[in-house]
Amino acid sequence: MAITIPGSPQDMPTTAPRYVGKEVKRIEDPALVTGTAEFIDNFALPGMAHAAILRSPHPHAKILRVDTSAAEQMPGVVAVLTGADIKRWCNVGTTAPEGWGSTPMAVDKVRFVGEPVAAVAATSRYVAEDALELIEVEYESLPTVRNPQDAVAADAPLIFDNQPSNVIQDRTYTWGEVDQVFDDADHVYTEKFRWNRVGANPMETFGCICHWDVVNNSLTCYGSYQTPSFIALGRAASLNLPSNRVRVVSHPHGGSFGGKGGPRGTDIAALLSRKANGKPVKYIEDRVEYLLAGAGQSWDRYYQASLAVTADGKLTGFKVDLVDDQGAGAEGYGTISAAKPLAAFTGCYTIEAAQYHMKLVATNRAPTYAYRGYGPPPHNVVLESMVDIAARDLGMDPVDIRRRNYIQPDQFPYTIPSGNEYDSGSYAAVLDKVINMSEYQAMRQQQREAREQGRLLGIGVVNTVEPGVFDWNAYSTVGVPGVGVPEGVKVAIDILGHITVTLGFTLEGQGQYTLAAQLVADYFGVEMDSVRVTYASTDVAPPHFGHGGSRLGVALSGAIMGACKKIEEKFRLVVAGLMQCEPDHVELMDGHMRVQGMPGAEMPVAQVAGTMLGRSDLLPPGMEPSPEATYVWTADDRNEPDDQGRCKSYLTAANACHIALVEVDRDTGITQILKYFIVDDCGTRLNPANVEGQIQGSVAQGVGAVLYEEYVYSEADGQPLVSLFSDYLLPGIHEVPMTEKAFIETPSPVAPLGAKGCGEGAIHTTPATIVCAVNDAIAHLGVQTRETPISPNRLWKLLQDVVEEN
Amino acid sequence: MKPAPFDYYAPETLEDAVALLEKLEDDDVEAKILAGGQSLMPMLSLRMARPEALVDLGKIKSLDYIREEGGNISIGAMTSKRAVEDSALIREKQPLLHAATLHIGHRQIRNQGTVGGSFAHADPAAEYGAIAQALGMEMVVVGPDGERVVVADDFYISFLTADIDSTEVLTEVRAPVMAAGTGWAFQEICRRQGDLAIAGTAVTLRLENGNCTDVVIAVFGVNAIAARLGDAEQLLNGKAPSEALFREAGRVASAELDEPISDVHASGEYRRDLVATLVRRCLLEAVERVG
Ligand SMILES: Cc1cc2nc3c(=O)[nH]c(=O)nc-3n(C[C@H](O)[C@H](O)[C@H](O)COP(=O)(O)OP(=O)(O)OC[C@H]3O[C@@H](n4cnc5c(N)ncnc54)[C@H](O)[C@@H]3O)c2cc1C
Repeated sequence: MAITIPGSPQDMPTTAPRYVGKEVKRIEDPALVTGTAEFIDNFALPGMAHAAILRSPHPHAKILRVDTSAAEQMPGVVAVLTGADIKRWCNVGTTAPEGWGSTPMAVDKVRFVGEPVAAVAATSRYVAEDALELIEVEYESLPTVRNPQDAVAADAPLIFDNQPSNVIQDRTYTWGEVDQVFDDADHVYTEKFRWNRVGANPMETFGCICHWDVVNNSLTCYGSYQTPSFIALGRAASLNLPSNRVRVVSHPHGGSFGGKGGPRGTDIAALLSRKANGKPVKYIEDRVEYLLAGAGQSWDRYYQASLAVTADGKLTGFKVDLVDDQGAGAEGYGTISAAKPLAAFTGCYTIEAAQYHMKLVATNRAPTYAYRGYGPPPHNVVLESMVDIAARDLGMDPVDIRRRNYIQPDQFPYTIPSGNEYDSGSYAAVLDKVINMSEYQAMRQQQREAREQGRLLGIGVVNTVEPGVFDWNAYSTVGVPGVGVPEGVKVAIDILGHITVTLGFTLEGQGQYTLAAQLVADYFGVEMDSVRVTYASTDVAPPHFGHGGSRLGVALSGAIMGACKKIEEKFRLVVAGLMQCEPDHVELMDGHMRVQGMPGAEMPVAQVAGTMLGRSDLLPPGMEPSPEATYVWTADDRNEPDDQGRCKSYLTAANACHIALVEVDRDTGITQILKYFIVDDCGTRLNPANVEGQIQGSVAQGVGAVLYEEYVYSEADGQPLVSLFSDYLLPGIHEVPMTEKAFIETPSPVAPLGAKGCGEGAIHTTPATIVCAVNDAIAHLGVQTRETPISPNRLWKLLQDVVEEN
Repeated sequence: MKPAPFDYYAPETLEDAVALLEKLEDDDVEAKILAGGQSLMPMLSLRMARPEALVDLGKIKSLDYIREEGGNISIGAMTSKRAVEDSALIREKQPLLHAATLHIGHRQIRNQGTVGGSFAHADPAAEYGAIAQALGMEMVVVGPDGERVVVADDFYISFLTADIDSTEVLTEVRAPVMAAGTGWAFQEICRRQGDLAIAGTAVTLRLENGNCTDVVIAVFGVNAIAARLGDAEQLLNGKAPSEALFREAGRVASAELDEPISDVHASGEYRRDLVATLVRRCLLEAVERVG
C-alpha cells in the first residue's frame, strides 16, 4: 500500500498544529544539561577493564619488533593486544574507494603519528597507561610524505604497498560547454586558495565499552556512536563476524559533527575483550588522542579556480582544480567531502558550465574524516571569493553581482551543471531581507568613514545553497555505491493510549527526539508529554542511518508521518467496522476517528487502540490486533549518477545569505567580527528554536575554521604540531558573534512537511563570509587573503608586504 | 592522559611543608609543590612532569592574604588570582598589577590558580613576569635555612625556572604601592580572550615639565623570561611625549629584543613587530592616564 506523506503541516490531521512549527521546549535537554543522560563514560559493566592505546610517534615507519612481555607481567593488566593478534583476527577496513584502509592497529608499518600500535586492558586507565610505558617498539623510519607535493613526486615512497601510487583518485568532471564558455567570456579570473586542515571537535571525545561474548561468538558495543548501524556493519567486516552478531548500542553523546569516529577504538576494545575471555573493556579516547589521530581532521585543500564572466557581470563558467590531502588513506571517508560539492557546485547561480578536477592524495598526515558540512565550506570560500573578485574588477557591488546571477523562483526545480536538482528557493527575497536587516548601505557609509580615519572595515556578503537530505548516490563517484538512505521508526500506541516512538539513533544535541514528539503529538492530537521517544539498538531497531548529511529532521519527519499514517489506516478499518460504515468515510482529525457526515460518530485514538488490544471480538475478522506501525523512509526519485557524476542526489536545497562587518587591525593582523546578520530559508521550520540552534552552532564552527582552528604539521618533518587545546584553538563565547537572524519560508515541494535539511548551512557560509569581509577591508591596499585560517600572523604578513612596498 | 603514580601530602603549616620537602629531598624522592594545579595538573596528566611526591599547600591558610605594609602590597602565595581581581586595595594602590591579573586565563582559572603558583611556574607568557620586572617586585622564599628575599631580576632564571630550591616554598610576593602621578598601561595580544599572550607589555612612566621620566617598559610572552627594554626606556626619558616619539620607541624596543620565540601561533618575526605596536599603544595609554 502506497503511503502518502503530508507535504506540509496543513496536510496533517489537525485543524491547527499545536506543536509543529512552534518553539516547544526540548524534551531531551533536562537529561543532557544535568548530565543524567547515560553518557558512555558514566556507564559501567560489571568486571569491566579499561583500555589504553600505544600510538606511533612516527609519521611513516616499519615496525621491526614489539615486546610486550614486561607489560603483560604488570599487576592489574588483563590483556595486551599487538599486531600479531590483529593479523590473526582482523580484516583490513573497508574504505571508499576500496584498498586505502588499514587494520585497526598497525601490523607491519605505521602511516601516521598516533596510529595505534599496541593496546592494554587493565583494572584502571591509570594502570593501563603505566603498562603502555613498558611496551618496547622498535621502528625503522621510512621517508615521510609530508604533503601532496611529496606524494606525487617521482620517487615518492608508497604509503600503501598494495597501490601503484599515492593518488587515491584523480578525476575530471566536465559539465556543459566549458571550453566554449571560457573562450566566449569577456573576463576570466583565476586564483589559488589554500584551506588548511580543520575538523570536528565535539565536547565529548569518542568512547565505548565492548563486550565479546565468547560463548556465542558475538559482540556488543556500547558507545557514543553517530551512525550505529554503519558502525555495526563495519565491525562485522573488520572483525570477521556475521553482521547479525554485532550489536551496537549508541549512548547519548556530547556532540559529534562527524568527529565521533570510533571504528579503530571499537575494534581494539572488542579484541581486548576477546583476549580477556569476554571481560568488557572500556576505551575512552582522550583529547590528545583525538587531536592527534581521532576523527577530527578534515579538508586539507589546495585549490585553483577560474571564473568566466561577461562584461555585464553574468557568471557563465566555473572551473575548480582541487588537490586534497586525504592523509593516510581513506578509512575516514574523507573522500566524500571532495565529492559532496557536486550537489551544489555552482551555488545560487545560473552558471551554465563547470569543470571539477579532483585529485585526492594520500600522505603521512592523519586520515581525514567527515566534518559537519562535509566539504562545501572550502568550496564556497573559493566560489564566493571568485564572485567578489569579478565584482571588484567590474566595479560592481557584491550584492548586485549576486542578484544578477540568481536562479529565479520560477526556474525551480532547477538542475545545476553538476547534476543535482534544487527543489525550490527565493534567493533574491533572502538577499533583500538581510540587506534591510543589516542596513547594508549604512554599513557601507560607516566603512567609508572608518577608512578615512585609517581603519580597515570590511563587509562580506555571501550566499550559499545547502544540499539537504543526503543520498548515497552522491558518493558513488568515490566508491560508496547505493541509492537511498533508509531511516525507520516504529510508532506504537498502548492500551491506555500512550504513544511510544522507537528509533535507531540517540541524542546528539540537535533535538530530533523533540521533533519526533511534536510530530506524533500533532498527528494523533495528544499532548507532547504523553509521547515517549526511545532508542533501539541496531539488533532491534528498524533500518536506520541516523545523523548525517543534513537529513535527519526531514527523514525522521517522513518516517514518522509514514508510521502514523499506517496506524491511521488500521484505525479506519477498526472504526468502520464498529460504526458500520465504509472505511473511506472515516477520517482522523484532532485526535478522533470520525465518520464523515455523522456528527458525534467519533472515537478518540486511545479508545481505538484500546479496542484493538483489548476487544478482539470487536475487530474486523482476521485483523491483526496491533495499534503500531513501522515505516522506513527514503527520498523518492533518486537515481544513479551518469558518467560525469550527475544525479539527483540531495533532496532539498536550503539557502542562506550572511552579511558580516569586520575590522582588521592593520598593525596586528587581528580580525574582529563587529556585526553578523543571517537570513536563511530552509522551508518549513518544524521547530524554529532547533533551526536557530543549528545556525548559531554552525556559525561558531565556521568562525573557528576561518579565524582560529588549524591542525598544523611541521613543514620540515611532517610531525603534527598540535595535540592540545592550547594549540588547536576553538573559538569561545568571546570570539563567536551572537548573530542577528531572520528567515523566509519557501517550503520544499518534494520533502515531508516541506522542510529542508538545515544542519550545515551556516558552516557552509560563514567561512566564505569572513574571507570576503576581510578582503573587502584590505582590497584597496592591493592585497587579498587566500588562505584559511586567517590567523593574525598570516594577515599581518600580508599587510606587512604592503607596508614594505610603500 | 593519566598521571604516573605519586605520593600525596597535604601539610597544614608552612613549617611542616618545609620540613617535609627537606625530608623528601634527603630520601632522594623527587617532590613538587602543588598550589592551584592549573599548570601542574595538566603537566602531570600529560606525564610531562612526573614527580614521585606532591606536596599540596592547599591546607596552609596562613599563606592566603593581601595586605598593605611598609609601602608595599604583600600577597600570600596561596592567595587566588580571583582574590587579587576582587581586591579594592590592589585596584586602588597597584592598578597595574590589578589590570594584568584580569588578563590571566578565565575567571575559572583565576578562582583556582594562585598568585604564588603563577610566579613560581615562571611561564614565559605569564603576565606576572612582566609585572614583577616592571614594578621591581620582591619574592619571599622560605626554606630549611629560613627566609630569603629575591628581587624580580634575579628571581626569573630561564624558561619555567625560578630561583626556588627544591626544599623551598615561595610564601609571598611584594609590589610597591604605585606612586601618585604615575601613568601606566598593560596590553597583550592573544589568539583568543583568556589565552596565554603571544606578546604583551607593561609600561609605567611619569611626566616632569611635560617630559617623560622614570619610564619602565617590560615585555613578556616573547622570550623565555620577561624583560625590561632599557634602550627604549632611555630613548623616552626626558623627551616630550608624541605619537612620533612613541613610534620610534616601539621600533627601538622591537630591535633590542632577544630573538623571540616562534610557535604555531606566532613567528618570532611577528612577535617582534607586535612589541613595537604594543609599546607604542601602551605609551599612549600611559601618558593619557597621567592626565
Ligand atoms: C586555560 C588556562 C589558561 C591560562 N591562562 C593563563 C594566562 O593567560 N596567564 C598566566 O599567567 N597563566 C595562565 N594560566 C596558568 C595559571 O595562571 C596557573 O594557575 C599558574 O600558572 C600556576 O598557578 P597554580 O596555583 O595553578 O600552580 P600549580 O599549577 O599548582 O603549580 C605550578 C608550578 O608552580 C610550583 N609552585 C606553586 N606554588 C608554589 C609555591 N608557593 N612555592 C614554590 N613552588 C610553587 C609548582 O610546583 C608547579 O611547578 C592558564 C591556565 C589555564 C589552565
